[in-house]
Amino acid sequence: MPDHVSSVKYRPLTPEEIETLAGRGCTSADWGLVEVAAGFRPERVRNTLFGGVVRLGANGGTLTDEAGIEKTCGIDGASIFACSIGSDVRIANIGVHIARYDIGDGACIENVGTIETRPDATFGNGVEIEVLNEGGGREVALFDRLDSQFAHLLCLHRYRAGLAEKLRGFAKAESARARHSHGRIGAGARIRHTKCIVDVNVGPHAVIDGAALLSNGSVLSSQQAPTRIGCDVQAESFIIAEGSKVAGGAIIGKSFIGQGCQIGRQFSSEGSLFFANCEGFHGEACSVFAGPYTVTHHKSTLLIAGWFSFYNAGSGTNQSNHLYKLGPVHEGKLERGCKTGSFSYMMWPCRVGPFSVVLGKHSRTFDTSDFPFSYLEATPSGRCLMTPGFNFTTVGTVRDAAKWPARDRRKGPKRDRITFDVFSPLTVGRMIRGSEKMKELLDNTDRNIDLVNMNGADVKRILLRTGQKFYRSAIGMYLLDKVLARAEVLLERPELPLSEAFAVAEGAVYDEQWVDIGGQMMPRKRLDDLCAAVVEGRIADLDAMNRELDAVLQAYSADEWAWIREAYATVFGKRLDDLTIGDTVELADELLKTRQKFLKLVLNDASKEFDNVIRTGFGQDGTADDVAADFEAVRGNYDGNKFVREMENELVALNARVEKYKQAVAAR
Amino acid sequence: MAGDVRERVIKVVAETLNLEAGQIHDESKFVEDLGAESMQSVELIAAFEEEFDIEMDEEEALDVKTVGKAVDFIAAHLD
Repeated sequence: MPDHVSSVKYRPLTPEEIETLAGRGCTSADWGLVEVAAGFRPERVRNTLFGGVVRLGANGGTLTDEAGIEKTCGIDGASIFACSIGSDVRIANIGVHIARYDIGDGACIENVGTIETRPDATFGNGVEIEVLNEGGGREVALFDRLDSQFAHLLCLHRYRAGLAEKLRGFAKAESARARHSHGRIGAGARIRHTKCIVDVNVGPHAVIDGAALLSNGSVLSSQQAPTRIGCDVQAESFIIAEGSKVAGGAIIGKSFIGQGCQIGRQFSSEGSLFFANCEGFHGEACSVFAGPYTVTHHKSTLLIAGWFSFYNAGSGTNQSNHLYKLGPVHEGKLERGCKTGSFSYMMWPCRVGPFSVVLGKHSRTFDTSDFPFSYLEATPSGRCLMTPGFNFTTVGTVRDAAKWPARDRRKGPKRDRITFDVFSPLTVGRMIRGSEKMKELLDNTDRNIDLVNMNGADVKRILLRTGQKFYRSAIGMYLLDKVLARAEVLLERPELPLSEAFAVAEGAVYDEQWVDIGGQMMPRKRLDDLCAAVVEGRIADLDAMNRELDAVLQAYSADEWAWIREAYATVFGKRLDDLTIGDTVELADELLKTRQKFLKLVLNDASKEFDNVIRTGFGQDGTADDVAADFEAVRGNYDGNKFVREMENELVALNARVEKYKQAVAAR
Repeated sequence: MAGDVRERVIKVVAETLNLEAGQIHDESKFVEDLGAESMQSVELIAAFEEEFDIEMDEEEALDVKTVGKAVDFIAAHLD
């Protein structure tokens, strides 16, 4: 019995009610199987066929739709088989039938062909999809509570003995719970103009309007985060999570659409996972692991067999997962924050380091994971030419960092755990490693050599030094800023010894290596411990695993600080415990200097958007003088640009921050 | 010395931007006249550093918009 009717008492129909119903064109082979709740009004039901056990709630109220049109509750023109219908539900014009559904209070179902549940339905739960590797071996089973961390571990950590088996067990238990003889349409859900809904649970307050086919799936939804399925959508074997919108003729097959996603404009997804706040329009995804904030907006864009997060796909982006002749068995990884330019192409396998830009047609395998913030341009022969660290100073990266948290569409409980930081032990650690590699290579390469190769990517030898400079600046800014922030506790508690301000929190975990697990960053040791606990049975179900992942997320700042302490000593050759107040003042000045230089580079990049060259084409049908006026009318000017002002304000704020700190410590 | 620096600057610019030395003049602007894109600007700085064995600050080098200014900037560094 569904929750919404469990407390409602039902009674058999009275002879008068049966007479009223029959007089209004209603029939039933056995009226004794129809029960009603207090407040049921038979005159609100007409032209309806009842079959099997049917329970009807009170129906004396009205419903007001999104257009503000008020309609009476009741049933008009439907065949209802083995359903429980809550209070104040409106059902009208059902072409075939509604069978084996529990329908929540206040739901509205109009002009629908078929809604039915078949025996042993699991509503999309338990469907195994071949993510990332079309050839198989990384299958992920769908279930309602799937999140990006669970999926990441099940899909990608097949090298951990016993882990996949345990995780599959958790997923199986979730699927078993989902199995039910009756589907659910949640309270306040609205379904209309939809041809066919088979074995689909529809969550509370979901809106399904004009869908073509929904089969074997779940539309998770809540009052806080209603989910919308729009026109001509075809979805089979799917789960669509809270607050998402799937519309515009999207075709969804064997896919998971996470919270706050937007899919539409004929996008098609097959065998793919999309986690929080992804957007997919026009293009196609196949066997993709789309971590949080994966965005693809353009036609002719195919994402295939790739692992992405915080990713932006340019128009015509494409990849191949057939390399030789053994089938589509290759896979690629674009770590968080990458972008691919228009008509970029990659021949998998490849691995691209965080926050990098891929341009051109790459037909060679490369791995740039230790070189974040790089530009990867294809040569005419398809080789990868890397400019290490160049993307660090581009205006786009800085804007991205601000926009992601602001664009979190999720409301209510958030399933995927997300660490938004662009600079973190993960990216900064990679830069430290990348710098060491570049230094070693530069020191050991003859000056007559133009190009060196690093894991398949070519780098102009002279840029090995430039790359180190970019990384040195990024590493310095990150470490100095974090250390100053710690030292600033002295502003509130001047008596505090510096060593206490720099102390590591109890329980913090240090590991030089950090990992990005479906958008959540953590020290590798945390992950290893968690995986071991799962394998050994100390974490025995999904709830326990979620609690542990939540705890790891909570510990992020403490773990990050433990990492920063070690990294600072490595980079600056001095342990934080040995720092004096005077050192912290110097450190604050150094931060200001480094940040000033960085922002000047970023602003220079932004200023290119206002160059004369960029004004080409402005001033249509006018004179040369009209170009500037037209440009300014449309694009504004550099000084008034919102981003430029923000950057300049940031510098002013940092200046004030450093000054305040210096004055405070001087007064100690 | 300035003449030598100028000659070497033009050589570096020609090689980096794939131009003929004759196309490069003191008043040539790197972006507008010589077509240096963002990444090529970075390469130019790296190439100058290599050629003259100096360390240039990217942020300071932003103000160097022409070949003549680059000659002056590098000559000052060498001094």
